[in-house]
Formats: sequence, structure tokens, C-alpha cells
Amino acid sequence: MLSSVTNVQRGADTGPSRHLLVGLGRGAAGAMLFGMPMLMTMELWYLGFYIDRVRLFLLLTVNIPLLIVLAHRIGFEHTSTWQEAVRDATIAYGLGIVMSALVLTLLGDLEPDMPFSEILGKIAIQAVPASIGALLGRSQLGGQAGDDEGRDEDDGQDEGKDGDAVPDQMSTSYGRELFLMAVGALFLSLNVAPTEEIILISFKMTPWHALMMVALSIAIMHAFVYAVAFKGAHELGEDTPRWHAFIRFTLPGYMVAMLISLYVLWTFGRLDDTAPTQILMSVIVLAFPGAIGAAAARLIL
Amino acid sequence: MTTISTRPHRETGEPHWIEWATGTVSALLVVAMIGWIGLEALMEEDLPPDFSVAITGRATVEGGHRVEFEILNKANQTAAAVVVRGEVFDGGTAVEEADITFDYVPAESKASGAIMFLQDPGEREIRIRALGYTDP
Repeated sequence: MLSSVTNVQRGADTGPSRHLLVGLGRGAAGAMLFGMPMLMTMELWYLGFYIDRVRLFLLLTVNIPLLIVLAHRIGFEHTSTWQEAVRDATIAYGLGIVMSALVLTLLGDLEPDMPFSEILGKIAIQAVPASIGALLGRSQLGGQAGDDEGRDEDDGQDEGKDGDAVPDQMSTSYGRELFLMAVGALFLSLNVAPTEEIILISFKMTPWHALMMVALSIAIMHAFVYAVAFKGAHELGEDTPRWHAFIRFTLPGYMVAMLISLYVLWTFGRLDDTAPTQILMSVIVLAFPGAIGAAAARLIL
Repeated sequence: MTTISTRPHRETGEPHWIEWATGTVSALLVVAMIGWIGLEALMEEDLPPDFSVAITGRATVEGGHRVEFEILNKANQTAAAVVVRGEVFDGGTAVEEADITFDYVPAESKASGAIMFLQDPGEREIRIRALGYTDP
């Protein structure tokens, strides 16, 4: 819907090199903006040297396809090919590493006499949220989010038949919706999962608290996207019963948030030697912010 | 599922099938999870933390002797700030003792740690026990 506006903006840019520099600046700003809470979290510094290296390797590896798909969806420039998505993802990952190293050094958290593996671990673990932030920064700070929305609507109309536009559009972008929810959940989970509070809350909670938290998480997710009229909120077709969207989007979204929570807690070694009920309680606690992140991602991205 | 028939214009392509399948599986998982937690809420009594300790390894290290152990909390309540004391007994009297503190020993879960003794316990008896805890 805003594609014409964007074309005008793009036409105003003076050249490709300036374009790239602005992009890098936005990416760096995004990495700072989204990565700062984690860069200033003590537990995450410690995780940098005691995290299981296999799990860290897995997290760093999983981040690569995630960034590529994310870049393909919301790339700063119109990322039309996968090569461009790979390029954008690489730049974002690189920016994440550079910004993490810079900020950690600035905070006095990296010293020259530290063992190399400690320095590497600290930067690596921070580079994951920072790189997601760099990609988000490039799209969200760039003022081109509306353009992406417009493009999505076009996609929906291209692939769906007219007359029943809303559900068709939903169905063509179903995998995308779940993916975006996963990214949102991962991002917020990474923010809070390293802190001790998550497991402390799960220890303090009774099963009744947990039940309330599940109900509230699902309700918030649904309300965020469908009921509260945020900008970018999804509207249901007039003849679509509300529970359709609840079954097809909100509940799978909550499951995505729970799976991401489980993965993040496992990565940070919070679940080792822990009883299944206790694991479930911790996952429910972390899925609470995760669900909000997932719902927000559907609106923002 | 029956409501699909009330929407005659709807395309019944594969994506819809996947959406409903994902939704149904998710709904079942959520219900199962709520059922599990609900059962816990209704059935389980709150049992105060109850520990058992098992020695898992011993090694001589620089400046002492390391005794590794696992502490298991058998109850369904989590203990915080668990102080564990290890003692080396020689003929009924403790000749050396050392304390460590676990931040948490979660319900029905294990935590592991090690105690450093100055002297090699050798054949002498090693006792490791929890001194106390706080509620989280």
C-alpha cells in the first residue's frame, strides 16, 4: 500500500554506497537497541563461559537459517532473491558480533588477559539477539515496514481467489505467521531466560498459579492480535467465528512459544537434572513473555 | 471441523488442512498440559524438601582431595540456599568438615557439587548431609 512512497524515498538516495552505509548504521542501531538489555545482563556474561559448548554451537547454527528467512521476509531492501537474503543475514550476523564485542568491551566485561574461549563465548552468545536486532533495526527503523505489509497483501491477493480474501491470505501466510511468532518468542525469551528470576518464579509458583499463567498467556496472545486494535492488528472476516482463529493461530502460537521456551531454557542449562513437572513450570513461566513476544511479532513484522 | 461446511466459498486446499491439523494438535497439547498441571494441583500434597546425598566421584587435586556428590530433593517443594556439610570421620569423631551452599535444589530434581577436603579421607568415613534450607 505504501510501495509508491518507498520508491520515491529510494529514488532520493544518492548512491549505492551511501545506501549501504545507512543500512549498516540502522543495523548497528538495531543491534544496540534490541541487544542492550542482554548486553547488560550479568547472567548472560557468565553463561558466555559456562554454557555447554555443544548447545552454544547449536544456537549459533540455528541462528543462521533463522536470520536468512527473516531477512527474506523483512529485508531492509526488497530482498527478492535468497542470495540477497543470505547477504543481508550475513551482514546482520556480522553487525551483531561487532556490536556485541564493542559494547562488552565498553562495559569492561572483556579484558585482554581473559582466556580466548571466555571472550569468544561472551561475544558469541550476545551476537544471536544482537543479530536479530540488527535485522529488525534495518526494517523497523528504516520506516519501510508499511511497504512490507503492502507486499504481503499483494501476495495474498495474487495467490488467493477473490471473494474470500481474508482466509486465503491467512492460509498462504500460515507458515510465515508461525515463523514470525517463533522469532518474536525467541527474542523475548532470550531477553529474560538467562536471569535467575525465571526459575525462581517457577519454584515459587503453585500449580494453580501455573494454570492461571497458561490461561492468561493464551488470552493475551489472542487479545493482542485480534481484540485490542493495535496498528497492524489482524481482522477476522465477518463470517469467520472467533474460535477459528483461536484454534488455528493462537493455540499453535502458544505452542510455538512453549517450544521456543523449552529450547532456550535447555540451551542455557536451566533444565538439567530437573523433574518433568518442574521443567513444565519453568517453560510456562518463560512462555508468558514468549507469548507476548510472539503476538507482538505478528503485529510488528 | 463441521463449520467448514458452513462456508461454501472457502477453498479446501492443503494449507487449510494443515492449519486445522496444527490447531487441533496444539489444542490437544494445551489441554493435556492443563490436565497435567491441574492434576498436580488437585492431587499432590505439599511435602517439605527431603534430601538424599550420593557420592559420585573422588579425586586427589592440588591442595586437597575432591569429593563429588549429587543431592536429590525427593519432595515436591523446591529448597533454596541449601547448606551441605561434608565431614571426614575418624573413629567416631569428625576430623575435618567443609560447608557448601546450593542456590536451589528443585523439587524432585538433582543438583551436583563437590567438597574439597584438605586431607585425603582414604578409607575413613565421609558423611555428607544437608544442614538446612530456605523456602524460595
